[in-house]
Amino acid sequence: MAAAMELRCWGGDWGLPSVHTDSLVVLAYAKFSGAELSVSPVDWTWKTLTASVPELVCGDTVVQEPTQILNFLRKQRFNADYELTARQGADTMAYIALLEEKLRPALLHTFWVDAENYSNLTRPWFASRSPFPLNFFIPSRLANVALTRILVTRGEGLLHRISEVEGKIYSDAKECLNLLSYRLGTADYFFDNSPTSLDAFAFGFLAPLHKADLASSPLQSHLRQLDNLTRFCDNILAAHFSPDKPRLLPPVQETMDANLQKLTQLVNKESNLIEKMDDNLRSSPQHKPHRTEPKPSLSSSKNSTPA
Amino acid sequence: MFVLSVGKIPFIHVGNQVVSELGPIVQFTKAKGHSLSDSLDDVQRAEMKAYMELVYNMLLTSELFVQWCDDATAGEISRPRYSSPYSWPLGNILAYQKQWEVRRKMNAIGWGGKTLEQVYEDVNQCCQALSQRLGTQPYFFNKQATELDALVFGHLFTILTTRLTSTELAERVKSYSNLLSFCRRIEQTYFEDKKLMKD
Repeated sequence: MAAAMELRCWGGDWGLPSVHTDSLVVLAYAKFSGAELSVSPVDWTWKTLTASVPELVCGDTVVQEPTQILNFLRKQRFNADYELTARQGADTMAYIALLEEKLRPALLHTFWVDAENYSNLTRPWFASRSPFPLNFFIPSRLANVALTRILVTRGEGLLHRISEVEGKIYSDAKECLNLLSYRLGTADYFFDNSPTSLDAFAFGFLAPLHKADLASSPLQSHLRQLDNLTRFCDNILAAHFSPDKPRLLPPVQETMDANLQKLTQLVNKESNLIEKMDDNLRSSPQHKPHRTEPKPSLSSSKNSTPA
Repeated sequence: MFVLSVGKIPFIHVGNQVVSELGPIVQFTKAKGHSLSDSLDDVQRAEMKAYMELVYNMLLTSELFVQWCDDATAGEISRPRYSSPYSWPLGNILAYQKQWEVRRKMNAIGWGGKTLEQVYEDVNQCCQALSQRLGTQPYFFNKQATELDALVFGHLFTILTTRLTSTELAERVKSYSNLLSFCRRIEQTYFEDKKLMKD
């Protein structure tokens, strides 16, 4: 916590603090966890070529990749996931995997491979933010990286062409957006009322798609139909990234909620034990196995059985 | 109809048809009128899909990494096994091609620079997440099996039973007792009496 932390990332536009998904994830998480980062955009510097973006520099340590950076911040006690239960932590990992596998290929395609979007929006933007003479080849290098990533992870052979996977990646992405929308429901954030790392990841992925001025994008129109997701992005922008907002200080609630969390965990453990004992009793030899016997209410807090 | 598991490639024989890979198999059985996740609501289905992606993203990638990006394992086990159905030199060529393909994929998703230790740690985290999600329940959702259970079983069973140069991967999985008993239970319920799967 003592050393100053500096984040190198791509700059912002379209109302966002950064147009780059991974950079946005880190920026959002920093806001949620209360970490003070000095943001130095790599725009117009030679770091567009040499640095892997985003990159966190803290004293002598350099951390790359959003997941590693978030881990590092947590170790520095900037933890937005403090109040999550173990189960919610597991859910977080699962949903982040969903975003990476299903949504990222389509986002890469929309911004970097789709000819119209690339030539009208992405390429001019990145070219204008790169110093001469890098502006000639940085955008195409990034586009190549994106295309390779899509083909290698989604294509099924050595000589696969992009047109053959396009349909699949877009339908996967739309399904992913629908699933996110179901999961979010009417809440402001994915878990309770405070933002966590899952919210940071979702924001990083969704915000550029929501805000960019894309010429042709079926995926963007699909996102815009999902009101709760667009509202989610706008909420985060207004609450955490607007210049006139006073910052919320999370540490105040921490000690009280830590005790509450410990108590909740103890109660959960007790109810698990009771349920186990109950299961053992029921499966003992004197009892015939009843599959659909109504279970005591303790277990209904764990899964919701539909009627 | 029964499910064979040959290394990592599941395929089913139904009459004259052979359907391989989990996704198409699920679609196929759904078309035949058997679906395991119909009783889930939308939020639960979202959760199920998310956990399936976690398995693909972490477990499958780690398995591939250990098999093909670790030189010792690749040379002693993976390449010989992959090339065994074919005659020389076709087998060799195909094995090296597969290895190259997997390494290329690892580089593309940023796993190229990972060490074996880091991959084992990733597997550990994935198993921890699955273990927490499973808790003390017999299956992941609703006390009945879904596609997620089948997928997790397939991967964990493969990790536990495939011979590699070191047993570290299997040891990591074994340290989660509820996952271990989950695998044993499914193996005993569905594979040891050879009857029709669901009644």
